[in-house]
Order: sequence, then structure tokens, then C-alpha cells
Amino acid sequence: MIDRNQLLGALRGSDLSEWALVERSVESVVVDGPTRTTRREHRQRWTIVVHDDVPNGRGSAHVEVDAASDDTPAGLVIQARQIARAAVGPAWSSRPPSAPAHVALVDPDLGDLVDAAGAIVATAPPPDSAVAMRAEVARERTSIETKQGFHATWPATRFRASAMVVIGDRSLELERTARRASDLGLDGSLAAAAADLRGLALATASTAGPCTLVLRADAMLHGGGYGVWDVFAAFADGAVDRQGLTRYRIGTPIAPGAEALDDALSITSDGALDFAIRSAPSGDEGEAVRRFPIIQRGVAIGLGLTPREAALRRLDPNGGVRNLVVKPGAWSGDIDPARPRVIEVLRLRDLAIDRYAGDANLEIGLAIEHVGGAARPIAGGTIRIDLVAALAGARRTAGIVRRGAYQGPASVLIDNVVLV
Amino acid sequence: MTLNRRELLESLGMASAASLLWSMGCRSAPTAHTGGAATIDTAVVRGWLHEAVSKVAGTFPQVRAHAVQRRRSTAAIDAIGAAVSRGRTDGVLIAVRDRAGKVREEVTSDLSTAGLAELVRAVVGPNARVGKLDFGPEPRAARHLAVDPRSLDDRQLRARAEELLGGMSSSRIVYASGVLDIDDATVWSVAPGRDLEQRIVRVRRTATRVAWNGTRPVPSDGSIGWAGGVDDQALATSMLDAVARGALELMTPSAFVDGEYAVVLEPSVAASAIEAITRTLFTTTAMRRPEVARRLAPGSQAAANAITLVDDPAVAGAYGGFAFDDEGELAAPITLIDHGLVAGKLGDRGRGLRPGHLGPVEVAPSHLRIAAGTLAPTALIADGFVLESARGATIDPSSGQIVIAAARAREWKAGQPTGRVFADVELIGDLGMLVAITAVATDLATITFRDDVDGSPRWRSIQTPSIAARGIVRGRRLKAFT
Repeated sequence: MIDRNQLLGALRGSDLSEWALVERSVESVVVDGPTRTTRREHRQRWTIVVHDDVPNGRGSAHVEVDAASDDTPAGLVIQARQIARAAVGPAWSSRPPSAPAHVALVDPDLGDLVDAAGAIVATAPPPDSAVAMRAEVARERTSIETKQGFHATWPATRFRASAMVVIGDRSLELERTARRASDLGLDGSLAAAAADLRGLALATASTAGPCTLVLRADAMLHGGGYGVWDVFAAFADGAVDRQGLTRYRIGTPIAPGAEALDDALSITSDGALDFAIRSAPSGDEGEAVRRFPIIQRGVAIGLGLTPREAALRRLDPNGGVRNLVVKPGAWSGDIDPARPRVIEVLRLRDLAIDRYAGDANLEIGLAIEHVGGAARPIAGGTIRIDLVAALAGARRTAGIVRRGAYQGPASVLIDNVVLV
Repeated sequence: MTLNRRELLESLGMASAASLLWSMGCRSAPTAHTGGAATIDTAVVRGWLHEAVSKVAGTFPQVRAHAVQRRRSTAAIDAIGAAVSRGRTDGVLIAVRDRAGKVREEVTSDLSTAGLAELVRAVVGPNARVGKLDFGPEPRAARHLAVDPRSLDDRQLRARAEELLGGMSSSRIVYASGVLDIDDATVWSVAPGRDLEQRIVRVRRTATRVAWNGTRPVPSDGSIGWAGGVDDQALATSMLDAVARGALELMTPSAFVDGEYAVVLEPSVAASAIEAITRTLFTTTAMRRPEVARRLAPGSQAAANAITLVDDPAVAGAYGGFAFDDEGELAAPITLIDHGLVAGKLGDRGRGLRPGHLGPVEVAPSHLRIAAGTLAPTALIADGFVLESARGATIDPSSGQIVIAAARAREWKAGQPTGRVFADVELIGDLGMLVAITAVATDLATITFRDDVDGSPRWRSIQTPSIAARGIVRGRRLKAFT
């Protein structure tokens, strides 16, 4: 088994330009309702980050080590350096460490892990429905030490619930992750799923044609991550920006006219948001995680910067893109009956985003079609849009939702869309 | 726009042989040694597991101990350099089922007497007594491998990766890499009356080429995978040439009209669809969904009569194969579709697989195979598109909608390719598309999959020919290729 002190000793005894050692220990419990299985696991893993300066630049390597290893700690360090030397790029130097972010990541109410997971699995199903639930609860401890003397340790908790909701001969799956059990919002999510299943039973096929598109939270955040907002997280990656392969350019509007809108789009990355799933005091190289704007009033202004990307730009690292905080708008969320046709999407079947171009295909799982004051559930159909332009000009609700790594408007409205 | 090579590679998720290892998920630490340095005596491990099961069996009606020692060795080479990574993961679990049917698993990464003692204490407390149990016959010795990865040093691994840089070259190819990836797992499963041990050495050789096409880099890759000795198979020069041709293919800048077309799914695209369909629909887990159970009731028509789909982990040399699953059930084939009719589903008996052999059990396919047809691939289509180079497939289990993405759609008219090739396309349909399959070709190919769940790998393989069908074909981008 790997010993932390021996690993640290080997790193301290090396002549590497920079190094960081990250230790993660996780105690997790999974309770699976359908198979009546309870699983408890202890896991420990190290990440060794090394930078080695050579005459033609700097080589870097990230190496993950499980508890078991065929090699000695000194051997691991030597070989990490050899890997770094196979990946030498332009020279850069690390910035001095700065104070880690102050962020709360522990559910103060978490006691026994088995009890907590069991309580999630025992969540009452909505009326007339059956729910098969699986819960994972973990208690983590992360410790980082770097050559520059930075040392930080923090605990965190993590909850993940997966549910299949069944009504009659239809079903829906959902997954929620959170730092606190109370943030899972399972009661509301299960109730929404049950309501949508009732809607699906009445849904008819969609018809092609122009419409106004409304994305409600479950559709907007399809897939469990940033959902449709993922396009901005991808564009704001410092390395991707430097390659110039995307249409995101610092200092320019994200779409023509995006800066001139009354309710122009603003998005912030906040890795120091208390209890958010992608929050942390610092990154894997000991760099402090910071809150920074990505888009301000329709203009691209910020990038997620690793220590390397920051050094190449002579800026401070910020821990990369973490939780996305989208500024809410002024829309009430109500559907204007005067609009000729509104497709209010409640669930997607599939969401495909081209991370270079920002084009997206949204496959509709369930929607409400509003025409002339009448509403009917529909299923099927595809929306193909330029997601960047669409979200830049979208109306956003004043009401917000907080789910996983997203905090922002609960719904968006996009004009001039064609359903195919 | 100018990019240096590093930036180009980073845009593709790779920046040198070293970070190529990283991008492949091979994150374990490298060593300079050969892989046999800390191999545990298998008889000793079985002795530990016997003792642990004996201590727990007096308290629980069902008990099983499961242990794994898994090594991954990866050699990668590209124009910038070469690197070798070796890593090891150990683990052991004890699973018990009480009289009420509740299952409990305790897992640790400490595969030692101390680790097992800790697990036993967690399950039955400190005063467990060893009972006398019969574990049945001893497992047979592992099959001899012609070239055992444990006997290869870094230089020998690198030499094999270098072979993957061969084949056709062109000044337009801006990046070429080769990767040899070896997962060497020894798995023990011990329960009263059952004493099992298997060693599975999964080998993959992958070649990647990238060429510029307009303003975009176009990657192309090809791989071959099997279970067995390191040199049992090779990526033929003809396959390396095909990888290069895939990258060099000049895309048609104009767009085609979205609509319903006859299509041929070449084997990698067909495999991507079959894997997604099986995993999403043909398991006991999927069958908990009433719409799936209804749609795929036993004996119902699921596909065209030409389709017979079998999951067979016992096929010799199959990358996804095994002798027993991670619940200790012996390998046996399961026919899922028999001449178009639903014949079975994958269940936790015999297909209880754990990511990395130690993660939470999931019901999953192992080695899927579709029987070959009688037509040459070129005879499958007159007018329509041949979809090449899989980019993933998704199934909505609720509606049965299928979306199959491919890197290229090659247009055919009057039984001949027109020379027009469109980039980044997808085929949309529902499960009826399987029933509407019009023909199956003779060109059997085996496609391997290796992905991970929470950092632990899963292995699957699919043997399939090209398949002809119909569906909606459309470009993934709003604008044509530029």
C-alpha cells in the first residue's frame, strides 16, 4: 500500500520544478432499492502533478495512483518525471499560491451513511406511482500539498439519487446530485416526473412548423450537467479559447446584437458557491478556485484558467469553469396566449451539442403545445438551433432553480424556432 | 487561425504520448519494471478468501468473497515522444445475503490478510469462528499465453506501439499516434461449493491519424481488441491505411437534404447501435420499465428475420468475454434476438458485471455477436448513404427513439458511390428501424469498447457485419462543412 509520507518524502527529495500531491479518501455507501443491496466502500487515491523544466520548455504530467502499486514512492516520482519529459511544451512558471476559497461543502446533518442513503431510498413516491430508487452517499476528505509550501485539507459530502418513476405503462428516470441531502429536491422532482408521465399518456405526435420555444428546467438541464448551458462552459475553457477553434472571442459579443439587448445574458463561474457540486477551495495543483464572470451583458469576458493557461496569459489561475451561475431575467415564466404557437418543452429525449460550432439538436420527449389559448401535450420532434445565439437572445425567468452545478433561471423562452 | 501541434492535439484531447495516456483514462502510475513485480500467489489469495468465507458462512445463508488484482499497461507513441504507463488496482469484497433477502457488500482496496480481516469484522463482528466448508474442486491453472504482458518491459511495449505508426503516410496528416493498451486482471470468486479463478488479459491496439480539412482537424482511428496473448493479433497494414484514408477524406462542403434514406451501417456504426440497444433495452434492469417490457415481450418481433443477436462471453479470445461473471456465475451464451424475435434478456445471473471487476454490480452485455448475411457490403445499397466511423448512439427507452451518430455519410446512387462524403451526420429512427432492416452483409468485424464508471473500466465487444436499413439522415451542424 502507498504511504503518504513516503510519497511526500520522494517528491521533496526530487529536483522537480514544481509538484503537487493530492490525496482523496472516500467512504461511500450505495443503497439500491430494487436489489435490496447495501454496499460500503473505502477508497483512497493519490494524484501526483509534476512540472519539469528542461531547456526546450516545461513538461507536465498528472498521474493517478491507487492504494496498490508495483513501485516504490521514489520510483513513482521518477517515472512521473519521465512522462512529463515526453510532453514538453512552451515554458511557463507557476504563480505563488494564494489563499484557498472559503466554501462550505459538508452537510452538517449527515450522520451514518447507511442511514442517510436508506432515508433517500425510502422517499415516499408520488400518489399512484411506483418508484425504484438508488442512493449513494459519500464522505470525502481531500488534502493537497505543493512544493511551494501550500497545504490545504477539506472535507466534503456528496449525495446522488437515481430514480425510476412508473405510472401505468410509462416510466421516467431522473438523477440528482448535491452536497446536502436537503438540496436533492427529490419530492419535487418525483412529483414533476409523475405529472409528466400523466402528460405523456395523453401526448400526441408533434407537427412541424415555426414556433416559440420554452425550455423548462428538466429539459434545459437535460443530462444532469449544465444541460444547454454546457456550450458556454466548453467555450470558456482557456485551452480551447487559445486554440481558436470555437466562435467565442474575449471582448466580443457572443452573438450579433447580444450586447444590445435590454436583458442581455450574463454568466458567472462560481467555484466557491456553498454546497454546489463543483465547488472546492482549490484545484489539483493547489491553485485557488475563484468566482469569475464568463459573459457579461452579452459579451465574452472571462475564461477558466488552469495554472498553465493562466501563466501563458500572465494572469492568475481561477480553478477553471466550475458551477455556472446564470443571471435571471425579468420574464415571469407565463406563456403569452397572444403568441401564435408556443412549444413548452418539459423533457428531452436527447440533447446533442456541437462543442465547436455551438449548434444543437434537441429531441423533444414531452412538450405542451400552446395555440390560441389551447394547450395539448405532444411528444417527438426535433429543434435544431444555434444554441449560442438562441440563449444569448432568450428571455429568462426571474425565478431561479439550483440543481447540481447550475444556478439560474428556471426557464428560458426562445423566439423564431422551427420544429422539425 | 494558426495552431501549433500541441494545441491541435489538445483540441483533440491529446497533446503527446504522455497526455495521450491521460486522455485515454490510463491515469495510473508508470513504472520502469515489468508487470510481475508484486504478483500475489493465487493459492495464497484463495486461502485468504476461503478463511473469510468460512468465518462469515455461519452467520449468513449466502456468502461470497470476490477479489481482483488488475494491472493496466499502456504504451503510446506519437511524433512528440513515447511513454509507457503501468498501474495496479487491487480490491476485495465480501457479499452476504441474509434470510430476508437483503444483500450487503463490504469493499476495500486492501487485498491482504489484514484487509480481509477488516471486512470480516465489518460483516460479522470481532468474534467470528472458522467453520469447515467444502469449496469444491480447485480451479484449473490459467491458460498459457504465447506472449505474456508480465514478461514485457517498457522497451518491448514501446516497440509494439511503434508498429502502429506504419501504413500510408501523407503530408496532410498532421498527427499520428499508436497505442497498445493491456488490461491484465486476475479474478477470484469463492463461495461454499465454488472456488473460481480466472485471468483475463485484454489487449487493444489503436491507431489514430489527423488531417486538416478546411478549417477543421479531422481525426480518424481504428482499433483491434481481443483477450489473450499480447501478440495474438495485429492491426494489419490495410487497416492502418484505412485509418489514414479516413482522416484524409475530403468532405463535401455543401449540405445534403435531410430526409429518409436507405442506409448501410458499416460494422463500427452497427456495433455502436447494437451496444446501445442491448445495454438500454435487453437487460432485466431495462425491463423494469413497463414500456420496454411491453415492447420487447418474449416472442415479439424486435428486428428483421435476418437478425439473430447472441451475447456469448465464452467465445475464445473475445475482448468482452469471461469464464465467470463478477457474481461468480459461469459463462454461458444468451440469445437475445432469434431470427428477429425476442428470445431473452441479460440478467444478474451470468451477466452481473462490475466496473473494474469490483464496482457495484450492473447487468451488461459481454461479447455480442450478430450472424453474418450472404451479401457483399457493396451489394447492400443502391441509392442512399453508407454511414462510417461511429460517433456514439443513444436510445430513449421510453419512446424507443434511436439516434446513431457517424463521422461520415458516403453517398451512393445507382449502386455506385458518387464521391460525395458528408461529415458529422446522424441517423434517427425508432425501434421499428430494426424490423425494417433490409439485409445483412458478410463482412464480419469485431469492435471493442472500453469505457469507465467512476474511474473503473468496463469491457465489451461486438462482432457484427454491415447492416442495411432505412431512417432519417441529417447533418449534425446547421451549416455545411467548412
